[in-house]
Amino acid sequence: MTGKEHEHQHEFSIEQTILVLSALERDQLTGGKKQRLPRRHLKGLEVIILWSLRVYLLFMMAVVVYQIWSGAR
Amino acid sequence: MLGENDGPSMLSYAATGAKFGIGFFIPFILLTFLMAIVVQEMTVRLGAATHRGHAELIFERFGPFWGWFSMIDLGIGNFLTLITEFIAIRAGLSFFGVPPWLAMLGTLVLLYTALMSHRYWTWERLTMAIAAFNLIFIPVALMAHPHWDAVGKALLVWKPLPGGLTKDTLLIVLADIGATVTPWMIFFQQSATVDKGLTRPDIPFGRIDTIIGGVLAAAAAIAVLLATAPLFALHMTAANYQAAEFAQALEPVIGHAGAALFALGIVEAGIVAAVTISTSSAYAFGEVAGLPHSLNIPFKEGKSFYGVLFACAAVVAGIVLIPSLPLVYVVLVVNVIAVLAMPPALVFLFMLVNDREIMGDLVSPLWANILAGIIVLLLTAAGILFGISVIAPNIFAALSGR
Repeated sequence: MTGKEHEHQHEFSIEQTILVLSALERDQLTGGKKQRLPRRHLKGLEVIILWSLRVYLLFMMAVVVYQIWSGAR
Repeated sequence: MLGENDGPSMLSYAATGAKFGIGFFIPFILLTFLMAIVVQEMTVRLGAATHRGHAELIFERFGPFWGWFSMIDLGIGNFLTLITEFIAIRAGLSFFGVPPWLAMLGTLVLLYTALMSHRYWTWERLTMAIAAFNLIFIPVALMAHPHWDAVGKALLVWKPLPGGLTKDTLLIVLADIGATVTPWMIFFQQSATVDKGLTRPDIPFGRIDTIIGGVLAAAAAIAVLLATAPLFALHMTAANYQAAEFAQALEPVIGHAGAALFALGIVEAGIVAAVTISTSSAYAFGEVAGLPHSLNIPFKEGKSFYGVLFACAAVVAGIVLIPSLPLVYVVLVVNVIAVLAMPPALVFLFMLVNDREIMGDLVSPLWANILAGIIVLLLTAAGILFGISVIAPNIFAALSGR
């Protein structure tokens, strides 16, 4: 077997390459997920926005409950 | 995206068409779908870049304190929305004389069939096949013989909100926004992107997918509006329509076949969303609890995933069997709650999708950030206006001198 023939024997078709990659992809993604992402430290403004929206949501839920209660009366 | 056209959404559009006609709402509904496309594109990008579902990403990046807040929002929102999906199924099937218990049992069996393929690919195809049925509202709209010149005018000239700003109009406006832009769609789309195994090269296809879905869903939503608009034009009272009664009320206008198709469309919308919302809850639970969560795993490996999914559906099916629930009112209120919960969910999404440490060069471009910022402001403003209208119902009339 010449060197060229030996090299040719190890070439893969596009279909074979896609098949191998797709078979490996799930494991690669699983591997990637095992690395935990570092915790992000929220800045002052971000904390204020998140707390404001939390208060907004709680207040609006109370409004919805009031709406249901007043509608039922 | 077609899953967004769920049972309560279609009932909201039906209530809108019957109560307010098309003038203001055709362009408005198009705008809401534009918002949904912007939001969903962000979730596709986030899922493909991080390979993590939305819930686990919030927990990892912001910690359990904020993570639990968003999980509570999602859990309550999903549970309430699932109730409205089963309401839609029950109501739609009642048009055909199907007893409620049989409607609920049939839905649970269908849900089981869709999930037992244990392949995301099969599940997605099956759900999409049912979702395509959503387009049934288009022939129904054509049967209602819409006035195309009025439709054209509505698109070209955005008419003011009929009746002005009142508690009722704001309830409908918020319900229509909540019909399209919801927290569960953020969690579901991102988890589905991960489960499907999308990676960076797949993002353009994810975008095309989202846009096509958005256009089709918008077409179906506007079709419902057009189908029920004759009720508004004929000044038929729509105040106390229950879900199935829309189909019955439309019968004189579009005939029995048209009304039957309308009822079937409502059933389909409820089924697709019941499947996607149950899955969204199960994904989020698995992500947070660190348990296996995929539609690709067999039941033995994913007992908790499938268990949560079926438990949610079964409990809700039981609740919906309670007689004399005010169906349309429940639906509208649940949609309003979805809108109110959206700004906090969107801010987390906005922060994550602009986080260069996890997104790299896939962070949102400036134009996407401006659009997202406008959406958060619009949703918050709509919520505040609704709150004002509930607390001081006459304030808008007083301010406009009426």
